[in-house]
Amino acid sequence: MAPKKITIQAARFDPEHDERPRMQSYEIPFSDDSMVVLDGLNYIKAHVDGSLSYRWSCRMGICGSCGMMVNGTPKLTCNAFLRDYWPRPVVVEPLNNFPVIRDLVIDMDDFMHKLQSVKPWIIRKEEMPLGAAEHIQTTSQIDDFRQFSQCINCMLCYAACPVYGLNNEFLGPAATALARRYNLDSRDQGLKQRLPVIASSEGIWECSFVGECSVVCPKGVDPAKAIQQTKLDTTMRFVLPYGNRDPEPPRQLEAEEA
Amino acid sequence: MEFESYDVLIVGGGLAGIRAAIAAVEANPRVKVGMVSKVYPMRSHTVSAEGGAAAVMRPEDSYETHAFDTIKGSDYLADQDVVEAFVREAPLEIIQMEHWGCPWSRDDDGKISVRPFGGMTTWRTCFAADKSGFHMLHTVFQTSLKYPQIHRHDEAFVTKLLIEDSRCVGVVALDIRSGRFDAITAKSVILATGGLGRIYAFTTNANICTGDGMALAYRAGAGLKDMEMVQFHPTGLPFTGILITEAVRGEGGYLLNNQGERFLKRYVPNKMELGPRDIISRAMITEFEEGRGFEGPHGKYMHLDVRHLGEEKIDRKLPFMRELGREFVGIDIVTDPIPVRPVQHYMMGGVDADISGATPILGLYAAGECANVGLNGGNRLGSNSLPECLVFGAAAGRAAAHYAASAKSSGSNPIDAMLWDETRRVETAYMEKHAGEERMGVIREEMQREMDEGAGVFRTREGLSRLVRRLGDLRERFEKVRIDDTSRTFNTDLCAALELDFMLEVSQAVTTSALAREESRGAHSRRDFPERDDEKYLKHTVAFRTDEVLPRLEYRDVRITNFQPKARTY
Amino acid sequence: MTGEAIPSPHKGEGKGEGSSTRVYRRPVPAGWWARRSHYFWYIVREFTALPMALWLLWLLIDIRSAAVRPVNFHPQTSIAFVAFSVVCLAFALYHSFTFLSLAGVIIHVKVLDRPVPSRLIVLSQFALWAVASIVIGFVLIWFAR
Repeated sequence: MAPKKITIQAARFDPEHDERPRMQSYEIPFSDDSMVVLDGLNYIKAHVDGSLSYRWSCRMGICGSCGMMVNGTPKLTCNAFLRDYWPRPVVVEPLNNFPVIRDLVIDMDDFMHKLQSVKPWIIRKEEMPLGAAEHIQTTSQIDDFRQFSQCINCMLCYAACPVYGLNNEFLGPAATALARRYNLDSRDQGLKQRLPVIASSEGIWECSFVGECSVVCPKGVDPAKAIQQTKLDTTMRFVLPYGNRDPEPPRQLEAEEA
Repeated sequence: MEFESYDVLIVGGGLAGIRAAIAAVEANPRVKVGMVSKVYPMRSHTVSAEGGAAAVMRPEDSYETHAFDTIKGSDYLADQDVVEAFVREAPLEIIQMEHWGCPWSRDDDGKISVRPFGGMTTWRTCFAADKSGFHMLHTVFQTSLKYPQIHRHDEAFVTKLLIEDSRCVGVVALDIRSGRFDAITAKSVILATGGLGRIYAFTTNANICTGDGMALAYRAGAGLKDMEMVQFHPTGLPFTGILITEAVRGEGGYLLNNQGERFLKRYVPNKMELGPRDIISRAMITEFEEGRGFEGPHGKYMHLDVRHLGEEKIDRKLPFMRELGREFVGIDIVTDPIPVRPVQHYMMGGVDADISGATPILGLYAAGECANVGLNGGNRLGSNSLPECLVFGAAAGRAAAHYAASAKSSGSNPIDAMLWDETRRVETAYMEKHAGEERMGVIREEMQREMDEGAGVFRTREGLSRLVRRLGDLRERFEKVRIDDTSRTFNTDLCAALELDFMLEVSQAVTTSALAREESRGAHSRRDFPERDDEKYLKHTVAFRTDEVLPRLEYRDVRITNFQPKARTY
Repeated sequence: MTGEAIPSPHKGEGKGEGSSTRVYRRPVPAGWWARRSHYFWYIVREFTALPMALWLLWLLIDIRSAAVRPVNFHPQTSIAFVAFSVVCLAFALYHSFTFLSLAGVIIHVKVLDRPVPSRLIVLSQFALWAVASIVIGFVLIWFAR
């Protein structure tokens, strides 16, 4: 039986030579049913054309490096099985809505900037000393923000979001979900400091709940939910009396208990 | 010519590197810290760690027990003063992480939970579900964003350490995006570049784990310590090598051979599935060789069975494992056993560093997996590596900041010349050679296959000698390598060549050290020398680079304080 | 792909040989919403505001003309109006259905430390809608008699 083959069409762009991106077609052996698109790209790079450039690292869907458009859908190429596309060709392009640096590599500067802008760290009025042990936090309190803490920063959601595509100023799904992760963490007291960024006109209010971000998210973060819930929460804070009250500080371990 | 200059420059943006950066700034808020990483920090391989971080957290636990477990686990090759300091710092680091927002899993009373782990005599492994490394990395990375003193150079590949007057004064780094070579000067440099798993074909490690920092230090004249000590994790998925965490066994999973037998009762009867990794990996290979393994298209494997734990417990404690099983093997671990086999996972060996991360080269420090401070000896216990990164990352950060406060900057003239030399070296070796004969992918795959065969779980003199020769051949062929990519912009072919260069370097150190150690200790297992020999080999191997093919080996005594070496049985 | 290549404001530029890397920006194609069914039905959802607004405008015009000449006010016999109303009703129902279905995503409440399942929230929204429809319908019919 002749070995199976599959065609991968990859976007190529070298700013030193190319005016605009072009497609290049490669036919490779499809030797194992558990091969993923990333395996295909690695085969091309090792055996056919070493100049094909793309990012990858962990190959197990946790580092977030290998996000690309596969047949028009943003996917982690380490988790996109060739068997789902064969025998038709697989078209691999750089993530939508980001500038292309080279081939399948996009410019992440805007994303990194937005992550940092939501102040994604625990903000407390007073730091607790290490000797006072851990903040008490129940599993139920972790459940409040657990989902939003699963983001691997793969940017598939930004590639899927037409609002971000049409307006690069939009804060975007992942950044807002990360802000909500900290706002909901019982140990955090920084909601007020994050509000100017998330509740701005380029923040949550730019979102019109297309919802595609949550569809493509490989980790089930559901950033659309994060954004809509943030809209509701910030509105309630604005509308209700005492809405601006700070959350209760988490209970610390008493010195006798520790 | 002006160069970017820092007080502390950290190479590598994983758990140890970022922890070092924060520690340096907290030790001295006026310090200027640079962090150079060949990938964005949240891509660092820390992110794949699953099981947890061990520390003395409970009143029924003690520093002495944690230290003894670690020292026995190391097959007595650990430097005991380092271990004793480590076990005292680890709990503080766990609390620090918690204060920074790490979502440690909790008991009903809201305190940080602990779970059992291999080689630990009591429950002391803290965990964040089964994505501990992911949560820890994102916690420190996001926390690091609040310090304006930390300047990051993302996607910058360090190709050489700058040494002037026997002092480390900075690095040369390739800016991957533009193809430009930069010199970054610093009063102190901390290497935190992680492990070298990609020298093997079958590894849990990510593509980026290529031993860069070890090779950089090696070429600068530092020693690489205990390079023969390579850890093989018992439970990797066949074909991909994706890690199935030890926590699966910690939560009660069984390892079964093709007879349905919990075969570990014949190897580690007192600990069973919670024995140390080296012993269990050897047990599995032995079972394979005696015909009691399952046959699969990607090699022999055993069953790791968690069906008896029930769906509720699996979803609560091992949700990521269920996801991995579903996505990469097409099984549901609630109803199917998991196919697993031993896989390269961690490097106990590394850059020779002391308890504060200082290497013998002034101004050069090392922390995390790329360093060998003497903690793990011949075999690392699971869940000691994450706290290792925190404790020794912080120690190196503080030590480097302290040193930088009194160190002089280097003059810029020698830097100019060194930058020029390094740029030309790389350009002539890779960019200007269009008529080279060898394909990089071919050399790399051969190296990886040979390492799997010759320097795997069980080693022999014949296998290792042959491997030394083969690595020499591959090195010669690599001198004629051709890279396809001629662009300056984001040239990943060039990066792969630089990485292969480093990998060939460290592979030779691993193999030569293994050939010279004629005993079996910890993870280093010789079929021709199956016993441990404390008289001749209760010593660290330190490999120094020479101008010839093979390194020069020296031996250094292991530091013993309270625990005299005994037979290691479980 | 069409677009333009522009110099990137990548930091770290300008030292040494100062190479600026061109990046290529791909514009969003005008027909982006037709490329995926999820985008298409989202646009339909957003679009429903238009027929609803037009229907209300038509109603206002009808009321105004009824105020001027009551004898000419026979909206229920105008075929055009009935057809148009059916179309608008379809859009309005789609709008309500999607809006209420998404309530489960937006509203999060905890009762006794456990989150209320989103299906329950959505069901309660639809129930409220049904109750409101019945009440309003009853009132309108009662007034019309």
